[in-house]
Amino acid sequence: MRRRAGLGAIQKQKLEQVKYREKGSEIQENQFQQMSKQLEVFRENLEEFATKHKNEIKKNAQFRRQFQEMCAAIGVDPLASGKGFWSVLGIGDFYYELGVQIVEVCLATNYKNGGLITLEELRTRLVAARGKAKKHQEITNEDLLAAVKKLRIFGNGFTVVPMGKGKWLVQSVPGELNLDHTLVLQKVSSLGTAWVSNSILMDDLGWTQTRAQSALSYMIREGLVWVDTQDPNETLLWFPSMFADCVSA
Amino acid sequence: MTEITWPWQYNFPPFFTIQPHAETRAKQLEAWQQLIVEYLKATRQSTVDVRETQNNPLFNNTAINRKLSQEAVLTILEDMARTGRAAPTDKSKNVWEVYWHSLDEWGNMVYNWACSNGLNNSVCTLFELREGENTVDEEFHGLDMNVLLKALKALEIKGKCELMEFDDNQGVKFF
Repeated sequence: MRRRAGLGAIQKQKLEQVKYREKGSEIQENQFQQMSKQLEVFRENLEEFATKHKNEIKKNAQFRRQFQEMCAAIGVDPLASGKGFWSVLGIGDFYYELGVQIVEVCLATNYKNGGLITLEELRTRLVAARGKAKKHQEITNEDLLAAVKKLRIFGNGFTVVPMGKGKWLVQSVPGELNLDHTLVLQKVSSLGTAWVSNSILMDDLGWTQTRAQSALSYMIREGLVWVDTQDPNETLLWFPSMFADCVSA
Repeated sequence: MTEITWPWQYNFPPFFTIQPHAETRAKQLEAWQQLIVEYLKATRQSTVDVRETQNNPLFNNTAINRKLSQEAVLTILEDMARTGRAAPTDKSKNVWEVYWHSLDEWGNMVYNWACSNGLNNSVCTLFELREGENTVDEEFHGLDMNVLLKALKALEIKGKCELMEFDDNQGVKFF
């Protein structure tokens, strides 16, 4: 006959559990303290590094990128917060400033491009607006992308649409672009013509009439394209943001 | 003919198709109005005849093979009429006066010229104003007769001048 678990055994088990728990938290405490100490040291070093190289980070695009890469590698985002010890880096400020300037450029050109702008045009206009000092001129595409990504906290008003081949479009009007819309933009960008049509989407992307039509009519509704009914063959849709004369105007 | 620098839109093919999207259309109409005014100013014209627009380089860009239809021209002119920048001369709405300055501005311009030339309380003929040697350097020199008359009438209402007719001629007295 199997003996049932006695009271003593249960109590012993409970006691063991308590002891394990105590030991566990003791170890945890230990690790936590060590971690804190390490973090403290890391923080001090980083702060020292940052204060020493603050100007360098602001001025030198190459340096800034490497610093960003380093931060990304250890999993911290120096732009995540303007508070706390990251603020001493002043690197957040650099991107906030850039962000504000990006918004300004987007709003200023909105009247003609309907809220779509190539990263190149954005950069050209920014550099022209920022003044002639060398540190103002050295804005890389990575800087712009990082700054635009930060603007996303304001909702979907600012998004970056990758065009492939190192090209991007910055969209500064609310309204989601789905995959099809992005494909349309990529197609126009790769054709380099600034216009598309139903038949191009159907022939080149293998889309059905309905699919092409629905993507294009969305873009008309959002004011991203201009309609041209005077082509002898079919209706063409033009993107002012990719029309050379408009970009340079 | 005086050459004007065409805005980028002039080479943008869809600029010649009235846009369906409201905001885009507003921008388009505005750009057209500026272009029309600038073109008329450069060529010293004051009227647009809708029936004759199809071969006018202003509305027909042969380089990109696009032209603005008569209905589209009418849409733009009607939009300009709403802001007082154009007016049809008859009910058929074929011929339109386009003001590159508002009537008030024209009136003030003539009045300022009269004041600075000491012509207060004296009478000028309209012919003098439009064709006279003294006004050659003025912007209103050669201005369309009807536009000039309307501008002076507006000035008359403000009590700054008085229109008068003698013989076969019209004149104006400035105060």
